[in-house]
Amino acid sequence: MTAEATRVGEPVIDVTELTRRFDSTTALDSVSLSMPRGAVYGLVGANGAGKTTLIKHILGLLRAESGSVRVFGLDPVADPVGVLSRIGYLSEENDLPGWMRVDELIRFSRAFYPAWDDAYAEELRQSFALEPAAKIKSLSKGQKARMGLLIALAYRPDLLVLDEPSSGLDPIVRRDILGAIIRTIAHEGRTVLFSSHLLEEVEQVADHVTMINKGRIVLSAPLEDIREAHRVDGRVLSLDEIFVAQVGMSAAAASES
Amino acid sequence: MVTIKLAVLARGRPIYLDSPESFGFVVMGPVTATFTYLLAVFSFGLDGDLGARRSMYPTRMFTRPLTTGALAGLPMLYGIATIFVLWLVTRLFALWPTGSHIPWLWPGLMLASLLAWTQALTWMPYPLPGLRIIVAVLWLGTIDTIAILALHFNARESLMLGILAPQIPLAYLVARFAVARARRGDVPDWRGGFVRLAQVADALSRRREHFRSAARAQAWFEWRRHGRSLPGWVAILLPFELVLLWVAGDSNSLVFTILLAVLLTPPFMATFAAAAVSKSSPDASDSYGVNPFIATRPLTNAELVAAKLKMAVWSTIAAWVLVLIAVALALELSGTAAVVLERWHRFSAVVGGPRAVVLLLLILWGCIASTWTQLVQSMYIGLTGRAALINGSVVLVLGFFVLFGPFAEWIVETRRLGEIWSALPLIFALLVALKMIAAVWIGVRLYEGRLLSDRTLVTGAACWSVAVFALYGVLIWLLDTPHIPHYLLMLVAILSIPLARLSAAPLALAWNRHR
Repeated sequence: MTAEATRVGEPVIDVTELTRRFDSTTALDSVSLSMPRGAVYGLVGANGAGKTTLIKHILGLLRAESGSVRVFGLDPVADPVGVLSRIGYLSEENDLPGWMRVDELIRFSRAFYPAWDDAYAEELRQSFALEPAAKIKSLSKGQKARMGLLIALAYRPDLLVLDEPSSGLDPIVRRDILGAIIRTIAHEGRTVLFSSHLLEEVEQVADHVTMINKGRIVLSAPLEDIREAHRVDGRVLSLDEIFVAQVGMSAAAASES
Repeated sequence: MVTIKLAVLARGRPIYLDSPESFGFVVMGPVTATFTYLLAVFSFGLDGDLGARRSMYPTRMFTRPLTTGALAGLPMLYGIATIFVLWLVTRLFALWPTGSHIPWLWPGLMLASLLAWTQALTWMPYPLPGLRIIVAVLWLGTIDTIAILALHFNARESLMLGILAPQIPLAYLVARFAVARARRGDVPDWRGGFVRLAQVADALSRRREHFRSAARAQAWFEWRRHGRSLPGWVAILLPFELVLLWVAGDSNSLVFTILLAVLLTPPFMATFAAAAVSKSSPDASDSYGVNPFIATRPLTNAELVAAKLKMAVWSTIAAWVLVLIAVALALELSGTAAVVLERWHRFSAVVGGPRAVVLLLLILWGCIASTWTQLVQSMYIGLTGRAALINGSVVLVLGFFVLFGPFAEWIVETRRLGEIWSALPLIFALLVALKMIAAVWIGVRLYEGRLLSDRTLVTGAACWSVAVFALYGVLIWLLDTPHIPHYLLMLVAILSIPLARLSAAPLALAWNRHR
């Protein structure tokens, strides 16, 4: 399955009026998002803003209580195979099976994706310096992140979803992850959704930024447009400054209402 | 128990529990069920993995500003106090056999000792996987045996107190040592001593070739996670059981008792292994949700469940191959094979050769099927990932055992056994109706949720029907008597072949995977 299989013009991710509550907490509040093919979306927000909840809906790990979620035009809950076979996913939590060896995990993951590229997987393994006989549990946190990245990339997924991939990692691993995103973008038609609270990283790779605060999207626009709209005395504000300003405005609007 | 006693007092009719069966039904069944639940609660055994090397003491408690002695001592203290209350309530309100003298202290102390040792042994980190279960079964069994022997020889209460009183401080010292080790993350590892065995096991299950399908890869994953536990635990227990054949000598009853215990070992150990198999996340001890690594596999919920079912088949076969080889060797080497063969010849002379063979195969098949069923039948609860539902089901099962005894005794006491026997077809028919209604409801949900394809649903229903008719045919051939109507055998066959609970497993997983 390739990116071309998605109908031309159809968004890769289409979230409409998605609301999610956990008991009395509203984790997502009428969130709408449409991600075209080939876009690199940076999803930014503070801890607990709702980024991971949104990503879990996209992966079908949470069922839409209200609103709808479509990925490649499919419902990820009703058709997990159709959606998940085209998504490469790297999560913040390291949940790789520690008892497996590196080569076993590669062979195991390969079985699930017909488009698995052995040569590319081997190239990534060597560039990440992962020993085939090493047990996953014996790898460092950075090595585990690289391993997760390897199995998320090796089948050249149509959509790469990275949930806080750099969280708690050293600058070298973060560079590897950013490099992987850039390589993925280089393949025509590949789409990336990248969640982070490290805004300088998002600025480096994203061409569209969606800011989320307390379950609501407070700003969603192309990065260039955001920069243009946030000039103070001719100086372009950094994404950090824009984020703080947007969150402040959102809090003020909430207190007024 | 209080309710039963009050009901008896209100009606003003005494109930005599002079037979051991009556006493067992009304008193020991409910007490044992409640005691088992309290054991699980106070040893934190409901959330942990019994087969794992790490301590089952919750790690979140280690950061509390308490001494290790307090961490070990407080749950033990609360547990012992609760157990003593349970014993005192039992002592005061249970319907004891008429004229019997029931001691006040030592039975409570016995239960408290068992609780304290269970806590100590479950909180201990172990050097090998599965060792906790073996040590617990052997050590708690030893304490039980000492108490039973003391009772058998009419030991005085002071002697019983002398034997049991030191157990609690000893267990506390062991528990404190165990919690201290677990708190500093010290998990001993003897797996190095079994390097060759581990290498063989690894070499046997390591994949050097590519998997032919995603389903095969997932089945291999499940096998590596859970498949080896059951055969491993059975292999450790078998020598302890089979060595008794050398003691049994020519005692027929002892030989057959030992063989019965051996045959019951795989289904019994499967109940422990099932706790891990039915968990949706193999590595998460404190969480019931599906691990994102598994949840994001591009497999349907039915395929994920099918991988677990396949693994359970392999695990059951491996355990039974071990049992059959070990039993054959032990019978031959201990010289007790002659006793078994002599009984077999007598049995086949009475019922006929072919019937004897079929009956033997049916018993063996029943044991094997029961092992597999034990492994997978709780999946429909465990895979939901809802802690309240999982813990609630444990309470429900124990509640059933609490009520079953008094109910059975009531039937016997009020001489309603004949009525029950006459109503058996109706009871079975009601159970079949319930099973079929549940199966249809589950089938509709599976179809509507597109969790199973039409073809799989039809094939599954056809296979189940074939299995039911095959069993029905065997039962008719075996029990060819006018006293048992054929429709009753049909009802038995329908109830014997698993359907509803197994079919509900993909629904449970879907409910958990897509929350």
